[in-house]
Amino acid sequence: MIPFARIAALASALFPLLASAQFSPPPLLFSGMDGEHLLDDGTLLPFWGYGYVADGFMTLPGPFLAYEAGGNYLLSFVNDSPEGHTIHLHGLDVNQSNDGVPSTSFTVMPNAEASYAFAANHPGTYLYHCHVTTTLHLTMGMYGMLLVTRSDGTLWEGGPAYDRDVPLLFSDLDRSVNEAPTAAYPFHTIRPDYFMVNGLSGASLSDSESVAAAVAGERVALRLGSMAYAQVTCRFPSEWHAEVVMSDGRPLPVALSVEELVLYPGERYSVLIDAPEETGTTMEVDYISMVSGALESTQTVALNTTLTSVNAPMARPQLMAFPNPATERIHAALPAGRWSVFNALGAVQASGVAVEGTWNIPVNDWPPGLYTLRHESGATARFVVR
Amino acid sequence: MNVRALFLIGCGAACAAPSAAQTYRIQPGEWSALGTPHPVLRFLEASDDFGSNAIVDLEVGEPAVAEVVNLDSVDHVLVIDDVAWAGVEIPAGDTVAFEWPALPLGSYRYHLDGERGNYLQASGVLRAGIDADHEFVWHVADLEAALLDTVAAGGTWNAATYTPDFFTINEAHYPHTLDDPWALVSVQLGDSAIISVANAGQMDHVFHFHGFHVEILQSTRSPERVGWLKDSVPVRRGEGLTLLLVPDQTGTYPVHDHNLIAVTNAGFYPGGMLTQIIVAP
Repeated sequence: MIPFARIAALASALFPLLASAQFSPPPLLFSGMDGEHLLDDGTLLPFWGYGYVADGFMTLPGPFLAYEAGGNYLLSFVNDSPEGHTIHLHGLDVNQSNDGVPSTSFTVMPNAEASYAFAANHPGTYLYHCHVTTTLHLTMGMYGMLLVTRSDGTLWEGGPAYDRDVPLLFSDLDRSVNEAPTAAYPFHTIRPDYFMVNGLSGASLSDSESVAAAVAGERVALRLGSMAYAQVTCRFPSEWHAEVVMSDGRPLPVALSVEELVLYPGERYSVLIDAPEETGTTMEVDYISMVSGALESTQTVALNTTLTSVNAPMARPQLMAFPNPATERIHAALPAGRWSVFNALGAVQASGVAVEGTWNIPVNDWPPGLYTLRHESGATARFVVR
Repeated sequence: MNVRALFLIGCGAACAAPSAAQTYRIQPGEWSALGTPHPVLRFLEASDDFGSNAIVDLEVGEPAVAEVVNLDSVDHVLVIDDVAWAGVEIPAGDTVAFEWPALPLGSYRYHLDGERGNYLQASGVLRAGIDADHEFVWHVADLEAALLDTVAAGGTWNAATYTPDFFTINEAHYPHTLDDPWALVSVQLGDSAIISVANAGQMDHVFHFHGFHVEILQSTRSPERVGWLKDSVPVRRGEGLTLLLVPDQTGTYPVHDHNLIAVTNAGFYPGGMLTQIIVAP
């Protein structure tokens, strides 16, 4: 069965599911201004963003980055775009020269590479984004989430133990800006009209089994962060027993049991929950205009508790795709969920929804070149079409 | 004694005594939006002919005698957000003696109630017991400049059509915020700085601090947040906040609203609610 007729929204913000403390420093990033993000209605929307050089494509939001607490790190990126960009490590309290602000730090010019040094002194949830003409560049999609975690499975030294991180990055975009960024002025009229969690929206989000997944009974740390223009209100189901324990990379003096939590732009929270036996319990996420106070969207995040191992899946696992090189078709062993194939320029060549099993993807009319198959779980496979 | 301890126990004898029987003046004025004047209303200290809204300093837990002269053409009522206080009615052209209420330690927003007083920015920061070596005040607002003309002429503000195009700290937008010693946080390494924040706008705002986390010492709206260390601090409409900054590195760091329409002037970046922290060795 060929799944092309079942093209649905691309889960292009495919954050890996993360058992805690299983990270290694991420590889080299690149920035670009020629990404395409598949919206829930099937529209391909231009975006600017970040990706791994090794992958060759960008994602909206950018790659999820994870570091172990206590280390000193360099985050490097090459600017593969016609305009200057930076990376601001939001909340990591870096020094001035590493702050990513053009007027006080430096701009990474086209074709240049730069590194930002930081000390991961405080475990917690952070963000990163471009700080060049921030209103435009961030709106276009140049942002991502960054975690600093401890190897002993506690949230902070002396803090509570937990089993798994589930990062959830809230964001929004104004489609008219992404479609015509040079016409985005004046910026004060930007009004987002598309609302996302980890880059997904609508049914693509609510039906996803990988955005939020855990083993039933686990203590899960929801890593919540907002890059939205909207005020974001998370409404937790009572069976999650949600408890806010950290904000902005610091423990709270007193944990708060909550049914709702409001995030303003740039804020982050760590919320401990109990993964219930029943799979598919949902958190509703309201996006409320900061200007008018009107409710603009409600998105649904379902917690999949059918995972069976605390150790799986790992970050960025590999898929099987063969033959390689291919001329007629690729046979791919795929778990259930959305998948996409990117060409060497990072553009979406094909996408669809798989049920678990081996899928045949015809490539006979594709241009020769290197392609990357990516599943919504974050798993990837590379292959060549001749 | 460090500043945080001083704050938490009250300032007592260490505080400078506020001026007795301070006199204020409600006075129409002008505010310039990139060179275009618009009508505003201010709540000035009587001795201040040209300045911005008064910063009112009180002692903790003690009422303070004051009087106010209303030079506007309409009656007003003086109120304090998030404080149970009946307020003061001030008829047009009249002079009224009143008492500021006894308040707990902290930062508050006072303003003239009603469409004209509220939207035309007759509003300021009231501080009870704040006394530190390094004090800063951010009275923040969002404005739709053309609406100042509308409201001054008797029109109304409408949330559904509101399109703010200026975002200010102490009436200034970036880069002019850097000219204001109350808005520009200029300190030395290891200093303790107290920042009083009050939101006079029609929107909530959220200040992101580059380079530092600050401690929330007091909030009129979210007392459960006292003691939190944050780099992104929401300031809700009408809320008063007191923040402690103890910089541990030198350099120049932006502080700005992370609702990114608010770092623009008439839609152009950078501007708006953006200032800096400058930490000297």
